[in-house]
Amino acid sequence: MAKKITRFQKFIMHNPFIQFFKFIYLNIKILNVVAMGHGGTRNGKK
Amino acid sequence: MAKVVVLGAGISGHTAVSYLRKNLSKEHEVVIVSPNSNYQWVPSNIWIGIGRMKPEQCTFPLAPLYKKKNITYIQAKVTTFHPEGDHEIEKGFVTTQYVVGDKKGETVKIDYDYLINATGPKLNFEATEGLKPGTHNTTSVCTYGHAMHAWNDLKKSIDRMKNGEQVKIVIGTGHAKATCQGAAFEYIMNVEQELHRYNVRDKATITWISNEYEVGDFGMDGLTVNMGNQLMSSKDLIEMVFEDRGIRIIKRAGVYKVEEGKVYYENLDGDHKVEAFDFAMLIPAFSGHGFKAYDKTGNDITDKLFKGFMIVDADYTAKPYEEWTVQDWPETYQNPNYQNIFAPGIAFAPPHTISKPRTSKNGTPIFPAPPRTGMPSGITAKLVADNIVEMIKKGGDHLHHLGSMGNMGAACIASTGFGILKGKGVTITTNPIVPDYKKYPETGRINSKTIGDLGLAGHWVKLALHYAFLYKAKMKPFWWLIPE
Repeated sequence: MAKKITRFQKFIMHNPFIQFFKFIYLNIKILNVVAMGHGGTRNGKK
Repeated sequence: MAKVVVLGAGISGHTAVSYLRKNLSKEHEVVIVSPNSNYQWVPSNIWIGIGRMKPEQCTFPLAPLYKKKNITYIQAKVTTFHPEGDHEIEKGFVTTQYVVGDKKGETVKIDYDYLINATGPKLNFEATEGLKPGTHNTTSVCTYGHAMHAWNDLKKSIDRMKNGEQVKIVIGTGHAKATCQGAAFEYIMNVEQELHRYNVRDKATITWISNEYEVGDFGMDGLTVNMGNQLMSSKDLIEMVFEDRGIRIIKRAGVYKVEEGKVYYENLDGDHKVEAFDFAMLIPAFSGHGFKAYDKTGNDITDKLFKGFMIVDADYTAKPYEEWTVQDWPETYQNPNYQNIFAPGIAFAPPHTISKPRTSKNGTPIFPAPPRTGMPSGITAKLVADNIVEMIKKGGDHLHHLGSMGNMGAACIASTGFGILKGKGVTITTNPIVPDYKKYPETGRINSKTIGDLGLAGHWVKLALHYAFLYKAKMKPFWWLIPE
């Protein structure tokens, strides 16, 4: 049986004031993912 | 003086040519060959498909930009590869055919010192009987043209619902081994929200049909996302989202035929079923373009360059799912037989899927192909360009820039509704893309870097990326500061 999104969770998801800070957080998180860079997986290379 | 030729002006090809031109002095020639006259920001096609954006907001003409940036642009399609040259041409070359203008239909040989094959996938509608847009009443959002068609069809269905009719909407994958579940997911969620906007949601039954074993697979074998205060499987996350929006689920389904108003599929239990629809958007299978390759004397050497897509530095040894490792995945995207040829983005042949292969009781393979998304397309294109620039400037053939999908993070921002205040999105970051269970035994990925989030902010992020990546693609000032 699928979990349900609660009313409180919906309030958080749809509240523009709260989501503004979430927008900043997500951008930082995404940049963090990108900034980690990329590399190889063979021969111990980064 | 070196000549670098890039085939394809999509996310990968255009990214490659931009960095090549930026980092190579004018004495080196940078050439791009594409049959398309416009660049398209593909991730926003779903918004064209619901009528919230127009094609001109997601595209721009290539010719003026390339002329301004000293990039030779040839509007042609590639037909054959000749990596060893022939009796007339010493260097490797490709044969191309002009697609527009006075020279339409004429072939021309384009030689190169380095070749980047960024031709992406062929949208293989033909792999599913009756799927091609216009044959029956299915649509796609894979190109802006298709997305406009989808919107026109959706509008008709909305009008029917406004007149009181009940309408069946089916969206998902249109082949047993299709990928791009993410795009289909975005589209079904946006359609659902738009029906609310038109006050006709109660007149529609909306069904997700997919080759995924469980929803949330997305061609990545699913993932475990950190939702802040808990770890959640992508299965549970997407089931929760579908439940919230009243969307039916048909999973483990391999669509094999479409007729007017009917989708035929087989499931993993071996049952053959039919799903009726009034409006359908189904993603086709991807395949290679069927290019041929020849050696200096004209012998067919296609197997040295292609196995469907282009062969690169992956481990293509056939092995069972339990023996797959991240080391199977390529790092340099260089063809092992012709080391001045590269294939980033979607053009390279993956070693295998990421999702577990499964076959039905009838022996039909039904499982997603690997995801082919914009971020790794851009990352791999840039690293290929960087390696070529280094080889030209410093000589040698050692490739320092590496980017395996087993050591690369990505962000997947799925819009689930359009609107500055009413928009919604599912934001997922994952690192790595291909799970590495040896390094990260618990979930295959770094938990702190593999997050999930639902809400309005996700829509704002996707919208911001739309503008940012079009700015970058237009090579406006400091475009290179925007990461892939």
